[in-house]
Amino acid sequence: MDRTLKTRLEAKLADRLTGPVRQRQDQTEIRVKPADLIETMRVLHDDPELEFVILADMAGVDTGDTLQAVYHLWSNKTPDWLRIIAEGLPREDPRVPSITGLWPGAEWSEREAYDMFGIIFEGNRDLRRVYMPPDYTSFPLRKDFHLPDDSARGPGGGVRHVEQPYAPVQGTEQSIRRTVKA
Amino acid sequence: MTAPAQPNQQHASEDDPRIMLDGQIGQYEQVPPYPPRTEREAEFYTLGDGEMFLNMGPQHPSTHGVLRVVLKISGENVVDLDPVLGYLHRGVEKLCENSDYHHIISQIDPLEYVSSLFMEWAPVMSFEKLMDVQVPRRAEYIRVLTGELLRISSHALFQGWMALDLGGLTPILYSFIERDEIVEALAALTGQRMLFNYFRVGGVNGDLNHEFMSRVGDWMSRALVQHEANIGLLNENEIFVRRMRGIGKLDRDTALRMGVTGPNIRAAGIPFDVRRAHPYSVYPELEFNVPVRGTKDGGDSLDRYLLRLDEVRESIRIIDQCLHNMPDGPVMARLPRLMRPRPGRAWAAVESPRGLFGTYVISDGTDQPFRFRIHDPSFVHLQLVGMLMKDNLIADTMAVMASLDPVMGGIDK
Amino acid sequence: MTPDGPPETAAPAAEDQITGGDGALVAAAPRDVSAPIIVPNTLWSSTRPDAYLSTSPAFTHLRELEGSDLMLSDTARWGALDVIPTKADILVDLIRMNSLWPLLSGLACCAIEMMSAATSKNDMDRWGMFPFRASPRQADVLIVAGTLTTKMAGPLVRLWEQMPEPKWCVAMGDCTCSGGRYKRSYSTIEGIDRVMPVDVYVPGCPPRPEGLIYGMMKLGQLVKERRGHWDEHRIGPNVPRDV
Repeated sequence: MDRTLKTRLEAKLADRLTGPVRQRQDQTEIRVKPADLIETMRVLHDDPELEFVILADMAGVDTGDTLQAVYHLWSNKTPDWLRIIAEGLPREDPRVPSITGLWPGAEWSEREAYDMFGIIFEGNRDLRRVYMPPDYTSFPLRKDFHLPDDSARGPGGGVRHVEQPYAPVQGTEQSIRRTVKA
Repeated sequence: MTAPAQPNQQHASEDDPRIMLDGQIGQYEQVPPYPPRTEREAEFYTLGDGEMFLNMGPQHPSTHGVLRVVLKISGENVVDLDPVLGYLHRGVEKLCENSDYHHIISQIDPLEYVSSLFMEWAPVMSFEKLMDVQVPRRAEYIRVLTGELLRISSHALFQGWMALDLGGLTPILYSFIERDEIVEALAALTGQRMLFNYFRVGGVNGDLNHEFMSRVGDWMSRALVQHEANIGLLNENEIFVRRMRGIGKLDRDTALRMGVTGPNIRAAGIPFDVRRAHPYSVYPELEFNVPVRGTKDGGDSLDRYLLRLDEVRESIRIIDQCLHNMPDGPVMARLPRLMRPRPGRAWAAVESPRGLFGTYVISDGTDQPFRFRIHDPSFVHLQLVGMLMKDNLIADTMAVMASLDPVMGGIDK
Repeated sequence: MTPDGPPETAAPAAEDQITGGDGALVAAAPRDVSAPIIVPNTLWSSTRPDAYLSTSPAFTHLRELEGSDLMLSDTARWGALDVIPTKADILVDLIRMNSLWPLLSGLACCAIEMMSAATSKNDMDRWGMFPFRASPRQADVLIVAGTLTTKMAGPLVRLWEQMPEPKWCVAMGDCTCSGGRYKRSYSTIEGIDRVMPVDVYVPGCPPRPEGLIYGMMKLGQLVKERRGHWDEHRIGPNVPRDV
């Protein structure tokens, strides 16, 4: 837990943080609004005291209420991991500026966040689905993803029993298994 | 004349819902997809003069798994390439949201299946951070020991696959001999040859046993000699060296900007290793060097290949120290059967043979995580192939891809 | 007709336009086309006289073609006499059994164990299965090793259809037998027998190389005894519908 990192971050990013800098074990966490994301990242990357040059991860999160984009950075100047949470993305139209200007390697991670959550990264040159087929219509990792609805629209037609929305009614012929004389 | 053929009666009956006939399976994505959906697609799918598309489909003899690469070629030169993923997407993150913490450990083994202990290590570390669990020292040493054994096995496989993708069919046999020895030792310890399911939150599943120690002892007595022999297999082969030298040059700035980690960035000249950059487990107590290769202009495929051979030597050193300094004690912390951490967030990363493997877990107080995010290094590295392939030949595509050592299980999750 | 001595230089007939008055050839006028010489075909008779007559094919898919009577199969149909093996059959079966060439269809983790079964320590080359062909046109056995996802199902079925008969299919690993640990996932197929006919199921996650070799031994027995012939293949799980 690096207390000096907390003071440095508060000094340099004062007005952009939407909450206190939280620290737990070896991670430091800051929360920003999506509109301030690029500036925050630029400060973190370029400032000689912070120098967070390596992007470790770019993730999407669905909190049940809103969506978030979570970034993890590493710097030589501090023993902590830094987590940046861009929070408060509305479910209907989640838009976040893309960090592919700073880290072009985040392009596919942002594609994956789009594929799984529907978060639209403005500025990403290649925002199309990466895992699911291109004509897929759902966002699987959202909390309101309902498997029977999704598979009914897909090629399999919802025939697997995990895709059936309701359990079979008790006691009908369909629910009674055949017995085997063994 | 023979009678006309009997029609085949036993084909799928159309009313059995478990059977998916042709029209239901789905369509191939057209190449090129009209109209282009993104800017990059428009750039890629516009053909210049004398260019054509070549599809290296999901099934091809490279052993990295099911990856489809659309190449835009002009003669034999590759102008651009577009990898299409998702042929192995199994929905692991969603499955993990519906599994409890013990089940997750077995669920994410198959991500990087050749080095699956590292896949277990990062989540287990993140759960331990969530629950503030102290892992006994003996368990940490066992984790490091088995992890480094698996790193050697994975690099041996990399050597074989590198040669296989360039056309050499013999080194893969040597690699599998190496791998089989190590993996039989781990099977004596964990019960499984491949997807071990051995690490637990707070330690490991079982203590070392005689058979494992005797196998590891046997293997260690020959390890360095065997390693020298494996180096000698290919390093002086002129065809191999000339096919790899100068191909896929990755310079330092690009490596940092693309989020490259692991042996790929160390072969470009940047000494970033999670074991030293952000030490975890008992690595601070162990003496080992972090090999780095490459000039100030970066490194090419040959540097990446040679670096992994250097890493094997360092891993042998680490195993030696673990075996000599193994402390006594329990191998697992005392934890309740049903683990309900307090609500919170935790991130942990380990150095897998491919790079930085990290997991971010959000707990909501129940026995299943709320969000389990997996960051796989090979996913990030595959973006590099397009950048490193400018003006190279088609046959070099596989060389560059193999030198980045991707494993499709992790890429597609 | 017997020749009547040397042909006399007859006076040119009025219909004979080829030679002019003095025997020189005259070019035919553009509209004059001589009648074609037709030799009636007595050498062979077509089994399908309507083969090339239709303009557009009625069948676009091999599976539909197999069900119709337009498809000819190479294997002789002896009906009930099939159970009597001739000496040629025994030899052919032995040849097929001992040189089954697999197709490289390793999708995921089981592929590593398949490669391990093919390399030095557990050698499948002893039974002739060394060359893992890259092209489906040259392969006999499709060993599906690894999870089948919905995106990959199409290409895999194409591979299966591209393989020429005789062909067999081995489902290796839990994911291909029944969906395995990914049974509840939104993007996997619960077992490849939902999309293609399977001959041998090799369970395990992953099955040990010895397990795969045992499965290939069983496949060899199937080949030798001509059980589960490729044209009698059923697609679909062999379990009752409500299970």
